[in-house]
Amino acid sequence: MNIDIKKQTRVIKENLFSSPVSTLLTFITSYIMISFFRGMFGFATAPDKDWLSVLNNMQLYMVQAYPESDFIRIWICVGLGFIFSGLSVGLWETEEKTSLSKLCLTFSKIVSGIIFLTIIAPTNSVVVSTATGIREQVEVFSYAERIPLLSILIGLLVVFFLISKINLSFNKSLLVSIYLFVPIILLWIMKIPTIQLDSENQRVFPDPLMPIANSTKIPWTLIWISFVVAYLVGVYFKNKKQFKNAVSISWVLLPLLIFSWIFKKPLIDLNELIRNDIPVFIGFLLIGVLTIYLINNKIVEKFYSYYLGFLVVVTIASLFLKVILLVKAALLLLLLFSAIIPAVSTSAKGKRSLTIVWIVSLTTTAFLLEGGTSTTQIVVPGSSIFGGFSLTWLLAIFGTYVSFPLGVLLALGRNSSLPIIRGVCTGIIELVRSVPYITWLFFASVTMAVFLPDGVEFNLIVRVLIVTAFFSGAYFAENIRGGLQSIPKGQFEAADAIGMNTVQKTSLIVLPQALRAIVPTLVSSIITSFKDSSLVTIIGLFDFLTIGRMVIGNQSIPINFIGHDRENLLFIAFVYWIFTFTLSRRSMKFEKRLGLGER
Amino acid sequence: MVKLLSKIGAFFRNVVVLKWAVQFIFLGGLIALIFNYLNIAVGNLANTNIAFSWGFLGETPGVSIAEGLYTLPKSGLQMLQTGMLNMLRITVTGIIAATFFGTILGIARLSNNYIVEKTATSLLEVVRNVPLLVQILFFQALILSLPRLEVYDVGSVLFHASSKGVALSWPNRQDGAWMFMLYFLITLYISNRVYKQRVKLLEEQGRETKPFLWSLSALVILFAVGWYGGYRIVGIIGFVSGFISQGLEVLPGIFYQILLSVVAGYISITSVRKQISSKRSGELQGKYSDDDYFKMIITIVIAIVFIALMFAPVGQGIAKFLVGDEPTFKSDWGLPQFFGGISNALDWSITGAPYELNMAEIEQVGTTKFKKYSTEVGKSLTVGYFATWLGVVIYTAIFISEIVRAGIMAVSKGQSEAGLSLGLRRSSLLRLIVLPQAVRIMLPPMGNQYLNLAKNTSLGIAVGFPEVVAVGQTLYNQEGQTLPVFLIWMIFFSTVSLTLSTIVNYYNRKLKIVER
Amino acid sequence: MSIIEAKDVKKWFGDFQALKGISMEIQEGEVLVVCGPSGSGKSTFIRCINRLEQHQEGSIIVDGIELTNDIKNIEAIRSEVGMVFQSFNLFPHLTVLQNITLAPTWVRKKSKSDSEQKAMELLERVGIPEQANKFPGQLSGGQQQRVAIARALAMEPKIMLFDEPTSALDPEMIKEVLDVMKELAKSGMTMIVVTHEMGFAKEVADRVMLFDDGLMVEENTPNEFFDNPKNDRTKLFLSQIL
Repeated sequence: MNIDIKKQTRVIKENLFSSPVSTLLTFITSYIMISFFRGMFGFATAPDKDWLSVLNNMQLYMVQAYPESDFIRIWICVGLGFIFSGLSVGLWETEEKTSLSKLCLTFSKIVSGIIFLTIIAPTNSVVVSTATGIREQVEVFSYAERIPLLSILIGLLVVFFLISKINLSFNKSLLVSIYLFVPIILLWIMKIPTIQLDSENQRVFPDPLMPIANSTKIPWTLIWISFVVAYLVGVYFKNKKQFKNAVSISWVLLPLLIFSWIFKKPLIDLNELIRNDIPVFIGFLLIGVLTIYLINNKIVEKFYSYYLGFLVVVTIASLFLKVILLVKAALLLLLLFSAIIPAVSTSAKGKRSLTIVWIVSLTTTAFLLEGGTSTTQIVVPGSSIFGGFSLTWLLAIFGTYVSFPLGVLLALGRNSSLPIIRGVCTGIIELVRSVPYITWLFFASVTMAVFLPDGVEFNLIVRVLIVTAFFSGAYFAENIRGGLQSIPKGQFEAADAIGMNTVQKTSLIVLPQALRAIVPTLVSSIITSFKDSSLVTIIGLFDFLTIGRMVIGNQSIPINFIGHDRENLLFIAFVYWIFTFTLSRRSMKFEKRLGLGER
Repeated sequence: MVKLLSKIGAFFRNVVVLKWAVQFIFLGGLIALIFNYLNIAVGNLANTNIAFSWGFLGETPGVSIAEGLYTLPKSGLQMLQTGMLNMLRITVTGIIAATFFGTILGIARLSNNYIVEKTATSLLEVVRNVPLLVQILFFQALILSLPRLEVYDVGSVLFHASSKGVALSWPNRQDGAWMFMLYFLITLYISNRVYKQRVKLLEEQGRETKPFLWSLSALVILFAVGWYGGYRIVGIIGFVSGFISQGLEVLPGIFYQILLSVVAGYISITSVRKQISSKRSGELQGKYSDDDYFKMIITIVIAIVFIALMFAPVGQGIAKFLVGDEPTFKSDWGLPQFFGGISNALDWSITGAPYELNMAEIEQVGTTKFKKYSTEVGKSLTVGYFATWLGVVIYTAIFISEIVRAGIMAVSKGQSEAGLSLGLRRSSLLRLIVLPQAVRIMLPPMGNQYLNLAKNTSLGIAVGFPEVVAVGQTLYNQEGQTLPVFLIWMIFFSTVSLTLSTIVNYYNRKLKIVER
Repeated sequence: MSIIEAKDVKKWFGDFQALKGISMEIQEGEVLVVCGPSGSGKSTFIRCINRLEQHQEGSIIVDGIELTNDIKNIEAIRSEVGMVFQSFNLFPHLTVLQNITLAPTWVRKKSKSDSEQKAMELLERVGIPEQANKFPGQLSGGQQQRVAIARALAMEPKIMLFDEPTSALDPEMIKEVLDVMKELAKSGMTMIVVTHEMGFAKEVADRVMLFDDGLMVEENTPNEFFDNPKNDRTKLFLSQIL
């Protein structure tokens, strides 16, 4: 014991008081940090702040004006997201183990931190009086109020200490479920006051027994349960490679499905569906499957190039003819498929997986087209269905979604050996990058309409997405170019020497290596898009930031929240921080694992 | 017939032909696409009765700007100028401050002291993960929550902050400031020369020449001489540029058109000549690849297009700008005016100290109960300026701290060990071994951060700071000319980016040469 | 009839002339060893044979096809000429088996099962069938080079080019690669080998050439070349290397 204390003091001395300068720095920094915390705490707890303006508007923050009757669609989408996350966590489970005592140590560290902060928190707060305009001191958090909180926290510490004696170790991936379990349980037991109004629409003091999250606790619990189930399923199928591939592809397709699901509640003409769409769908399905299974037939093989040529002609012709959209899309898909069938469909296994991919992609296309072309039954007051947090995510995910392929093309162009193509691509990249994002947003909101032909009109969100695609595409291109340059010249020469053409070289040798090198930057690009999406508030889209800053800051009906934008700004900053911080931490871990897996 | 066909086939299978065919098809398609959209734009603009025109640059917009060079601009051009200057003000001061704070933070993150290191790291994690716009808005809200200025007494203060903004004591520029600034630059150059001269002597004669002391004392003496009136010697430059201004006024616009064309022609001819002569040695006579031909042709084509433009209305317009006689835009910054301005600023009849240290002052606005910070003495920062500046500086400083840390860590431990084993002291080790290598690694990403800072200043629009984007938006809301304003933004930001990256690249190259 | 015929081949890199007129003929089944100091143009020459470099004057005819800018000729020649590099140049993102089957499936359009079967045969021939499902990064240099040979052989080339195949290897690994090459030479493959392994040249080569400063200085049978060199430059070179 004695030695232990000696060791501890030595560590502390080495880390904090190794020299006079270091000692001085320690004291100055601690002083700055503590006064910063006290200032922020005083700022947040001052009586002129109304935190209920945040809590009471949660629904507005998340989905803006989306009709409540259709909330089930959003819950299903969120649930799908969690189910796929659970599956992925299970499938790509780490081998690392952790124990209950370690977990309790982490928790008790957090609780001790909170205890420390509670003790040093200030009792007074400075408020600018509305009457005189002078600062006044107000008591906010007296020591008497702190005692119950402190006793609960100390009780928790004791509980953690007791639990840590239980010797139990489990897989580290399971931690995610445990971490998610904490907020779920809080939803059930925490009572957060809500505002109520009396018959004359006057504000009554908050009812402390009415939990704010009453309407959300059942859906969230269901989602958590399905997450855990999905995780277990993932663990069960851990060694199935096909299952992994299927989940990876689903991740790419999921956003499309989710957003179309939120966006459209299609009004489907059954007559049309039975007469046109279903026969077309089945027809194309059969053609695709037949092609896959007949390709190795000697006679078919002979005429395959004619078949391809015929398909090209028909597809191009159909683009100009008046046929239903499904036929055009399916023809294009069939053409793409037919081009790769001979290379893949050589074994029974290849045929089987190709068939699955064909069916899935055709069904998805048909489904999306069906939803996309029909009129929606969701009526939202205001300009668009998306608003609040869902708009922020739409911009972030779809921004990345469209900009990535564009970035790949631009990077390939900039690395090309053909001078004109290289020049043009370099020009585009540099021009787009030299101008700030906000001017491009203005371009989308005011200037772009000038360039559109008569009768063509895009929603502002779509215009913003187009501009974002170019903007982050240019940044992507620079990242990917870094990946391309890291490929040694010998790789190109080796590919040349075995007789590959340019397309094969690019798709089989260059891109797989370049993209592997840039997976981490992909995540950081999503983070950047997520943060940059806040700029759309300047051009008047109702994103997460706009809601907090403008909408709630000016809200007077039914409850007066005018002037309470500072609380909302803090809340917004906190939410952004939580998401970007966890994402960047995850990606760092993922990157490490990727590096390990390669060797 | 068959032979001919096979010959044609072979022609189209030729790698060189294929390569250029693909490129020209691509270029043709691109031009067609651009032309198509331009056509649509022209048609649409004609329909809405706001035909594309630059005329708004000359008209009086009838709005005021919160702060800057012209608060009541007489023309659209002046308005944009004000916005550009505001933007550059934040960019230049911001770059200096961000580099300073970033370096300190970066070193703090490498510190052995646990609390210092953790504080710096947590600051990094907070700032990096919150959108810059939210931070700027938060700083604005923070200042706006301070007490109103009306409750304070009128008078001088060292430092003051209220919901009106921030005011500090500041050395205010006097009449001679421009001359002194130029004089000071010359002084810096001279003391640098002295340093190099002494180092040379040290190396040649092998005796202690104290180069640092010499250059420092040269600097101090020259500075003191300059401060007490010596700066007026720079007035010679003003005198000369007065003459130049008078001389330039005689020159007609066509002179500039011809001059620019000749310069363009000369540059293109010399560069083509260089390309030709580089392949002329030995047996390589006339061995050009198609790339070489393409480069030569494109150089000549660009030069011809440029010369043709010089004699088109565009060229005449540029020449008129240079002459300083542009009726539609009311431009008053041609070359004669430029030199005239220099001769006014550098006038040797000006006397007195170049700078005067003043306290900030709170003033009464007329006879009302409202008060404001004096703009004449001290320095007052508006809420928009302060929030934007603080936002971009902290945000950029955080990224710079990462670069500094990575740069210092990238210089391997072996380098320090080698230096120590040679008997270098810790301080000289850092100065001679670690820093030169670390700076070389840090410079390119640092340049990127400076560019980001310049672009991020545009977020000032959200807190009412009138920089170029905000001013442009006001302009097109007035006149409806969105396309020209957008083009101006683009040209302006591209110029700033290009200038910044040129400076960074210059130092980058210089450091690289030093390394060898 | 000769399988490779080069006439007065010249090649410049900017100002520098790398090949100053090389002429040679190679018969089918012949093993030719090219040696010379570094920078003498030997690598450049064999890279010209499958168009990794473009010669600027003279002509090269491979198996009756002249190397021109015609893309069809280039493709035809590349699929008949295999090449092994000094730095292996295996594709790091693919397994050994995928490395070998890549070209047969995508360039020759063979079925996957056929090319996999063929790949396993080749791996057995170079002596490392057990490594088929590993990634190149997990193999030693000698193993990697043997995979590279198998990859080149998978296209069933008529000619094999070796560009200093053993220069990047440790001494004990050199032997395993040379053994594979010797076996290949015995099977009647036409080979051009750029190497400094004089033992290999003595044992296997039908002819040995010395390049210097972009020119072919000497061409001889191995015995004559080593025991009785005609040119002074050859004597100097041999005295330095042996």
